Amino acid sequence: MKKWIMLIMAFTLVFTLAACGTNNNGGILTNNSGGAGTAEGTNSGGDNTGGEKEAVTLRMAWWGGQPRNDYTLEVIKMYEEKNPHVTIEPEYANWDDYWKKLAPQAAANELPDIIQMDLGYITQYGTKNQLADLTPFLNNGIDVSNIADTVVNGGKLGDKLYGFNAGVNALQIHYDPEMLKKIGMDSIPDDWTWDDYKELAKKAGDAGIFFDTGQKPEVFFSYYLRQNGQKLYSADGTQLGYDNDQLFIDYFGMTQQAVLDGGSPTPDFSAQIKGIEDDPVVKEQGISVWQWSNQFIGLQQVANRPLEMHPLPGPNVKEGMFLKPSMFWSVSENSNNKEEAVKFIDFFINDIEANKLIKGERGVPVSSVVKEALKPLLTPEQVKVFDFITWAEENSTQMDPPDPIGAAEVMNLFKTYDEQMKFNKITPEEAAKKFREEANAVLAKNKQ
Amino acid sequence: MALKKTVKPLLYHAVVIVLSIIMIYPVLWLVMSSFKPSNTIFITAESLIPSPWVWENYVIGWQGMGGNTFGVFIKNSLVIVVLSTLGAVFSSALIAFGFARLQFFGKTFWFAMMMMLMMLPHDVVLIPQYIMFAKLEWLNSIKPIVVPNYFGVPFFIFLIIQFIRTIPQEMDEAATIDGCGKFRLFFRIILPLVTPALATAAIFSFYWRWEDLLGPVLYLNKPSLYTVSMALKMFLDNETVSNWGAMFAMSAVSLLPVLAVFFAFQKYIVEGISTSGLK
Amino acid sequence: MRTNALKRHLTGYAFIGPFIIGFLVFTAIPIFASLYLSFTNYDLFTTPRWLGLDNYKKMFTADPKYTQSLKVTMLYVFGGVPLRLAFALFVAMLLNTAAKAIGLYRTIYYLPSIIGGSVAVSIMWRNLFGDEGAINSILEILGIGGVRWFAEPLAALWMLIFLSIWQFGSSMLIFLAGLKNIPASLYEAAGVDGANAVHRFFKITLPMLSPIILFNAIMQTIGAFMTFVPAYIISKGEGGPMDGTLLYSLYLFRRAFVYFEMGYASAMAWIMLLIVAFISVLLFASAKYWVHYESKGGN
Repeated sequence: MKKWIMLIMAFTLVFTLAACGTNNNGGILTNNSGGAGTAEGTNSGGDNTGGEKEAVTLRMAWWGGQPRNDYTLEVIKMYEEKNPHVTIEPEYANWDDYWKKLAPQAAANELPDIIQMDLGYITQYGTKNQLADLTPFLNNGIDVSNIADTVVNGGKLGDKLYGFNAGVNALQIHYDPEMLKKIGMDSIPDDWTWDDYKELAKKAGDAGIFFDTGQKPEVFFSYYLRQNGQKLYSADGTQLGYDNDQLFIDYFGMTQQAVLDGGSPTPDFSAQIKGIEDDPVVKEQGISVWQWSNQFIGLQQVANRPLEMHPLPGPNVKEGMFLKPSMFWSVSENSNNKEEAVKFIDFFINDIEANKLIKGERGVPVSSVVKEALKPLLTPEQVKVFDFITWAEENSTQMDPPDPIGAAEVMNLFKTYDEQMKFNKITPEEAAKKFREEANAVLAKNKQ
Repeated sequence: MALKKTVKPLLYHAVVIVLSIIMIYPVLWLVMSSFKPSNTIFITAESLIPSPWVWENYVIGWQGMGGNTFGVFIKNSLVIVVLSTLGAVFSSALIAFGFARLQFFGKTFWFAMMMMLMMLPHDVVLIPQYIMFAKLEWLNSIKPIVVPNYFGVPFFIFLIIQFIRTIPQEMDEAATIDGCGKFRLFFRIILPLVTPALATAAIFSFYWRWEDLLGPVLYLNKPSLYTVSMALKMFLDNETVSNWGAMFAMSAVSLLPVLAVFFAFQKYIVEGISTSGLK
Repeated sequence: MRTNALKRHLTGYAFIGPFIIGFLVFTAIPIFASLYLSFTNYDLFTTPRWLGLDNYKKMFTADPKYTQSLKVTMLYVFGGVPLRLAFALFVAMLLNTAAKAIGLYRTIYYLPSIIGGSVAVSIMWRNLFGDEGAINSILEILGIGGVRWFAEPLAALWMLIFLSIWQFGSSMLIFLAGLKNIPASLYEAAGVDGANAVHRFFKITLPMLSPIILFNAIMQTIGAFMTFVPAYIISKGEGGPMDGTLLYSLYLFRRAFVYFEMGYASAMAWIMLLIVAFISVLLFASAKYWVHYESKGGN
């Protein structure tokens, strides 16, 4: 009996190592040429000498809804017509399903060649040898002559570029001026500060409407920290980056007070919002939403009456503001056709005809030339977003590096304590202390 | 007495119908919502009757995406579901008979293994299994989803075991005296007697495979192979505006095959031939 | 005589052979791999490193969310399963007649179970239990007053339990099939003896149905421990409010695929296996006191 167990364990061990080993294992285990039985052995990559280019099959994966799927397929078709030797096999799924699909593919060394990547996952995939470093391809495959350095660097971890910025977003407040009038104000003043926010939230609460629907703590607290010259995570990602808990207490004390004043809903109200159609601003029960610039278009479309956008409260807006990559294009480390994959990414980023199909749906284009070329084709609300990004390019500072591993768990801690504070079950002082302890315990795992 | 005879069925129907309304309301809501203009679904969530009635959700939804109409997704789902169900029901019945009626070495061990399969959360075997199917070069095909069904599904095996064990042993003995081998005993006597269980298993298997999302998400890469469950989720978009109308419309359409199968098979549960075989 | 015994064993294996082959080919290796991984820090992408019992230790000593998820799950299982079974049996008996339109009734009662995990259900359910939803309106009328279902962790859990009761279709169907398997002759004999309905239920229906009840009890318990979809769609994947609906499977999923701690998730899975197996063994062991088989099966 014991022998039998030993045998199984040994078998398992061999199997697991074979299965889970990454590219750094070397030897027989890294031979992964047959990508999902699709990328046939025809594509040796690189060696393109002699008249006919060798046929290449690229797998490309993205998440998104129906409109994105449809226009992306058109872009692919356009590229294939211009490059007859390339065949691109699309693999798309809804956001949730996309990540369920990607993780096993990475574990089995079966990742697609071109991967749409998110800021929240790029550290995990990048630092664990799943994504190729794109630095060698800059201006050697991907033309970056019309793209700002701060934008390109958004996908940088250490000295490696694991994803190419596919579009830009920035934080804003979107509001309904008619609703704002109900608390005696025509528009949000240009130089508003968090103190103004506190007052507005209180006034809205007194008037029986919501000023906002709450702020995503990990995003807006991070902005708050930046305004104060601090960062959420330390540079090496092994602990929190701010050492003064007073900042935590001030920020969360403020959002807690907004809830207690009735200017901001309790978390259970937010949990019942089913979709954008159900948002208090749309239903004229609230004044504003804190969100990313690209979300303005959908909100405006659904609300169907003039909405306005405004930068976040000061002071030190410029220090706090940053341009966020809406998403990245990455190339998998085990791709046999990195050059060809990079060429397609370049097409997606820089080709004007292609971007006339994309129309900024994946975030405001990073290339200034593309951005100008698209202007005449845009709807008025899209123009607003594009203009805001242009403004933000001048009035922002370099984004913090992508979140360290463990950030997802830290975000969950934020959510837990944010909820408890808003239900008034814990004071900001206590939460600050507990949060620091637990978050540091999570991040300490990154020390090796 | 005569009064009692009419009151009783009336009362019965009254109770059943009142409960029915609670049961069916959400489904009704789903169907009715599919006839509302997409952007009014939540605003008018409290009222059941659409005003105005629109068909566009069905038209838009049916167009599907990426050049594949919704018909393609339905066909893909049907292929997977029918092949899986055939395999699951037949193989499970065979295996169940072995466990329920035969004595052999190691039976308890294998039964325990089978139960264990149901108790381990699937999430943790998913990755090793995926890697295994990758080594078999089965990715991007329906094989990883369909083939395992032909080796028995623990839930159905256990279900059929329990049903076989409600059949008196004398049936077997009589059959054996008649010179029936075990296989003939299984096909001739037991299989017909457990028809209600088989029908139940068929209904479950059909529905489970139909709504299964994880299998198709993991193993099907090519959009032309996508199933209904995957396509439905693609009407939703967490970044911008979801097409709720089309999603509800196609959800309603996708209920039809499941309902048809249920309606067809529930008959066998009702008319279970079993009673006729017994004294 | 010996060849007979050998033939007997071989026949047994011929029947269960497909299961053994399937088990060895498709599941045995992944299962043992997950057991091995539960002693490592496997993160899906890099070679796992051996940790010994660290994952298991952390679970019970340094992970308050784990204990919370265990607590929530126990409440969910032991609150929901008995209610769901009782309701399913009640409806099955109600529908086990030859009344007119019975096929239609059955279909209607089964409907909630086939729209199971869909988005539509989550939206519906959220509407029903919303602050101004139907449930609260009824509670107001009854004079109990509204409940903030999305604010109180326990109330939110009950919202999930109600959902599971409402989707009783699969147990009902199995009960229905079981009821059909009870020979009508038994009831006829009882009718001659003049037994009333209650008597018939306890003396004939329950004992004859007991193998099916055992089946449903075990399967529903296992199923309840594994419940993932309702918690995921109702709480938008987070298990809130304040981790009140953080079911075991949901937390396990988060560990495995959101935090990329597959080693830890595997350890969680094996503890879950032990818990469920323990409860199942208890149920099986209790069977000899209340389950009535027409044939000896010998498990």
